[in-house]
Amino acid sequence: MAWKLDNPLYSMADEEESRQVIQTWEQEKHGGMWEGNNRLPFPFTFLIGLIILTSFLVTMPIWGARPTAELYVPLVELMDAPEVQRMATNEERMKYITDRAMEIHASAEDSRLTGWLERHPISWVDLQMVADQLREIKAAPGAYQLRDYNVVGDQVVLANFEGSYRDDGLRNRTQPWWDKGYWIDLFYVSYFVLTMVIVCKRLPHFSRKPDMSKAV
Amino acid sequence: MLFKFLFAKNEDIPPGSAAVFFGFSSILWFIIGTGLGSFNAAKLAFPDFATGVELFAFGHMRQVHVLAVILGWISMAFAMTMMYMTPSLGNTKLWSEKLGLWTAFNWNIGLSLGLILLWMGITSGREYSDLIWPIDLVVVFGVLVPLGINVWMTIAHRRTQGIYITNWFFGSCIFFVIMVFLVGQSAEMFNLTGLTEAYLTFWFAHNVLGLWITPVAAAIAYYTIPKLTGNPLYSHRIGHLHFWSIIAFYSTPAAHHLMSTPLPEWLKSFASVEGVLILIPAVAFVANILLTMKGRWSMFVENIEIKFSVTGVLLAIPLNMQGGFQQTRAINWYIHGTGWIVAHAHLALLGMSTALEIAAVYFGLQQMLRRKLYSLALANFHFWFFIIGFCIYWISMTIAGLIQGAGKIYEVPYIDVVIAEHPYMIARWVGGSMVFTGNMVWLYNMYMTAREGTVVPKGRYAHELAYER
Repeated sequence: MAWKLDNPLYSMADEEESRQVIQTWEQEKHGGMWEGNNRLPFPFTFLIGLIILTSFLVTMPIWGARPTAELYVPLVELMDAPEVQRMATNEERMKYITDRAMEIHASAEDSRLTGWLERHPISWVDLQMVADQLREIKAAPGAYQLRDYNVVGDQVVLANFEGSYRDDGLRNRTQPWWDKGYWIDLFYVSYFVLTMVIVCKRLPHFSRKPDMSKAV
Repeated sequence: MLFKFLFAKNEDIPPGSAAVFFGFSSILWFIIGTGLGSFNAAKLAFPDFATGVELFAFGHMRQVHVLAVILGWISMAFAMTMMYMTPSLGNTKLWSEKLGLWTAFNWNIGLSLGLILLWMGITSGREYSDLIWPIDLVVVFGVLVPLGINVWMTIAHRRTQGIYITNWFFGSCIFFVIMVFLVGQSAEMFNLTGLTEAYLTFWFAHNVLGLWITPVAAAIAYYTIPKLTGNPLYSHRIGHLHFWSIIAFYSTPAAHHLMSTPLPEWLKSFASVEGVLILIPAVAFVANILLTMKGRWSMFVENIEIKFSVTGVLLAIPLNMQGGFQQTRAINWYIHGTGWIVAHAHLALLGMSTALEIAAVYFGLQQMLRRKLYSLALANFHFWFFIIGFCIYWISMTIAGLIQGAGKIYEVPYIDVVIAEHPYMIARWVGGSMVFTGNMVWLYNMYMTAREGTVVPKGRYAHELAYER
């Protein structure tokens, strides 16, 4: 059971141990069955890496986020501008005010707004339906900000995300990008990967295949 | 006939008796479980069916169906496989056939009692943990601990140096499920309420799936596929990856069942990442088994046990893809509390897990009885009724779930959603009833195998004789 650490990514089992393990695999018959020593094919190894990466990315608030009130307020403010009113069609109006809103969002502190507006386009008619509610919230935001409100159909409602408590006793309504749950995951996955590397590398290298013809 | 061995000396009991007792019990419970499922589905499809009797109310019968399937069919099929696979893999005999027989006897009595109480409405009222706590203790100390002792002692008395991967899973999963029962039911035993009760309830529900039903089913495939194909298991080292990733990632994400509750958000973030990481053991398992099939894919067509086993392994792919992603915040808000979840639960229990267990029960009963299967045609009938019925159920409930999700989010009046779902409820009943019908044919086939199946000569396997007359 000696450890060999000169080339740990090849194998951590010394020659004698590797020979014994291969011999056991070749000679031992578990109710008529044998085990091979093949590696996980590379595409699957790649897939596992991809799963680990995906597990973090897909659980962060990148996808599935609903449009917030903050996203559409610049559009509402431009709706009544004379140049917009003079335009012939709703499509022209929307293109114009969306382009202006993009410029406003691009200069905002939160760099995610432009991407969100791209993913949550809105029609002139739909904008008209929520415009008054957005103006009302902007005029008297109360304990929550515009970003804490979601636009759901023709309603503007407080987001249903209930996060940690704030200092004022209310709940956070926006999911943070990172919290201690992710830190624990990071530790947990790291220790798992390290442990699995050690477990697998303590076996004979996968290039050493047991000869099943020797099996009794 | 098996009852006479309950009071016999251990040495006088023929090897395999406990496996046969468990095997036939499991098929009977499968028929009861799917029969109840079919009855319940009929009540959803035809609301005027069987009304006016309190005991036939959906609220009384639903959990009897669920627990008859989990503790009757699935768990007894597991016990059956443990009774013959564990000794076979250690080149030895079962530690105690007598203990095995008594465990099967107590299991049938205890479960019958528990389900009758449940049917009468004596329940803890917690989903999946519906049995009252004294019955939970009977399950732990009357059933799981004796089963564990038999399996652990058989492994300890093996005649091999190594322990085959199937026995890693068997030995450890019995320990896990005992812990899961004791901790999960503590909410009722110690009168814990509120969020603690909710969390423990779904900690139990999650881990019964994650540390019992799916890993033991996978362990069965590690036996049946190499055994029947004659190929060596593709990789011992991938087996390590599967086993340890189950321990690491399947035991931790219980909170992802409660994404809309006031649990701490960091706990949900943690659980959600772990939930996606469940794909790691899935990839390892599916890769290891399908690569073991190399060169023997013709058996997927010809051999009934391989047909069921590979079907189960293939169903593990959509199962884990769904399971990994449906629990994330981005998706869960839409499908939570809808028929999608019911479809997913049936994909796990009726699809992946059940297909693997059916294969093992077919193989084990023929081996233990030393009889060739009475009718391959009936077995194929069973397979096709099972898979077509299951697919109808799964697809219809998935669609119904998406309709419910849309109805929930867009606040469609409830009765409109009920009307929209109606065709899918009928399809659900048709699919479930097909599975139930197939199971009755299976029981007949196995009964006739025991009575009239051709005796298998020494040194041959029953499945090798499938096409010989």
